[in-house]
Amino acid sequence: MSAAEKMSRRDEMETLLPFYLNGSLEGSELEAVEEWLASDPAALAALGEAEAEFSGTSAANEAIRPPADALSRFAKALEAEAGPVRKPAGSSFLAQAWARFMAVPVGVAWAAAAVLLALVMVQSLVQPGGKGKDFEIAGTEDDLAKMPFALVKFKPDAKMSDISAFLGGNGLKIIGGPTADGVFRLGVPAANAADYAKQLGLIAAQPFSETVMEGRKPADGG
Amino acid sequence: MTAATETDRALVDRVAKGDRAAVRLLFMRHHARVYRFVARQTGSEMMADDIANEVFLELWRQAPGFEGRSEVSTWLLGIARFKALSLLRKKKEDWIDDEAAAAVPDGADTPEVVTMKEDKAAALRRLIDALPEEHRTVIDLAYYQGQSVTEIGEVLDIPVATVKTRMFYARKKLGEALKAAGYDRGWP
Repeated sequence: MSAAEKMSRRDEMETLLPFYLNGSLEGSELEAVEEWLASDPAALAALGEAEAEFSGTSAANEAIRPPADALSRFAKALEAEAGPVRKPAGSSFLAQAWARFMAVPVGVAWAAAAVLLALVMVQSLVQPGGKGKDFEIAGTEDDLAKMPFALVKFKPDAKMSDISAFLGGNGLKIIGGPTADGVFRLGVPAANAADYAKQLGLIAAQPFSETVMEGRKPADGG
Repeated sequence: MTAATETDRALVDRVAKGDRAAVRLLFMRHHARVYRFVARQTGSEMMADDIANEVFLELWRQAPGFEGRSEVSTWLLGIARFKALSLLRKKKEDWIDDEAAAAVPDGADTPEVVTMKEDKAAALRRLIDALPEEHRTVIDLAYYQGQSVTEIGEVLDIPVATVKTRMFYARKKLGEALKAAGYDRGWP
């Protein structure tokens, strides 16, 4: 093999090394590089140099930091492009909660994820059609529009089994939420203000309740 | 084909059906790389921000026509490349040159002297950044974006042979620049 041919082969191998390192080389080119690495003492040094380029290029790219609010700005641009989200017919409560989760700002999304996980556990306890073993999770939109409700935040360490048992035992329903802060809207089947106040007191007294706020009271609730 | 790639394609299928959560997931997965690719292409993070956003809106618009002939990442980089070139042609604004100029060390030291003061890794990184755009781009696409020769050809819309030629000259120039800076690596 002449010196010119040797250099030509070296040039070819040097050209292929970046693709050998990124794992995209295949077939005869991969075999050629592997054979060169195994047979030429200069090849391993060349591989080391290419690895240094690999590190340098990665470092140069990683030093560029995309803006932290890129996703939330993109979400707004997408809404402007695609229009308001249509509520899918018959979409599940969980799907709606997921859609709400995906719409929250990036900064709070992960905090909300923990609450969403809890919601998944609640959802897993109910049967298709909205009826659970122990409690009803939601009614028709008309029912929900009229229903008295309270705003409730559960403690982070609350057990879902405790919550579900309590909700089911008292005819309570989760009818909305969670918000970005983890607040659920809890339907309260109270016929009057006194009953509503009593039930809110009962919810607040539970060890898993962190915050309970009044929402819509019954018609005579003043 | 990796599982991750299949998932990308499945997400594009969902986007094609109007699933906004899917396009957000793809955004989270690929945005940083697209952003960095454009920033390196244009030298402007402001342009990278605008273009990266546009790339994912384009994904939303074009998803129904995506035939899966290339990887999703390659497709996105191709869109980014096209948009970056279009914008650069359209704008030709001075601030791009200003940003590039700001990145160059002042005239007190020649590039060789600056390089001598650095360690080899820092010198290498600076010399990669100083490569002509067409050479730096193939370096970025191979080393950082993990693209194959064929995929780089798709992103840049050039023949495979041209990809190899550019890679050869990119690495040759790097070797020569390093040698001039006192780091002879034995090739070229």
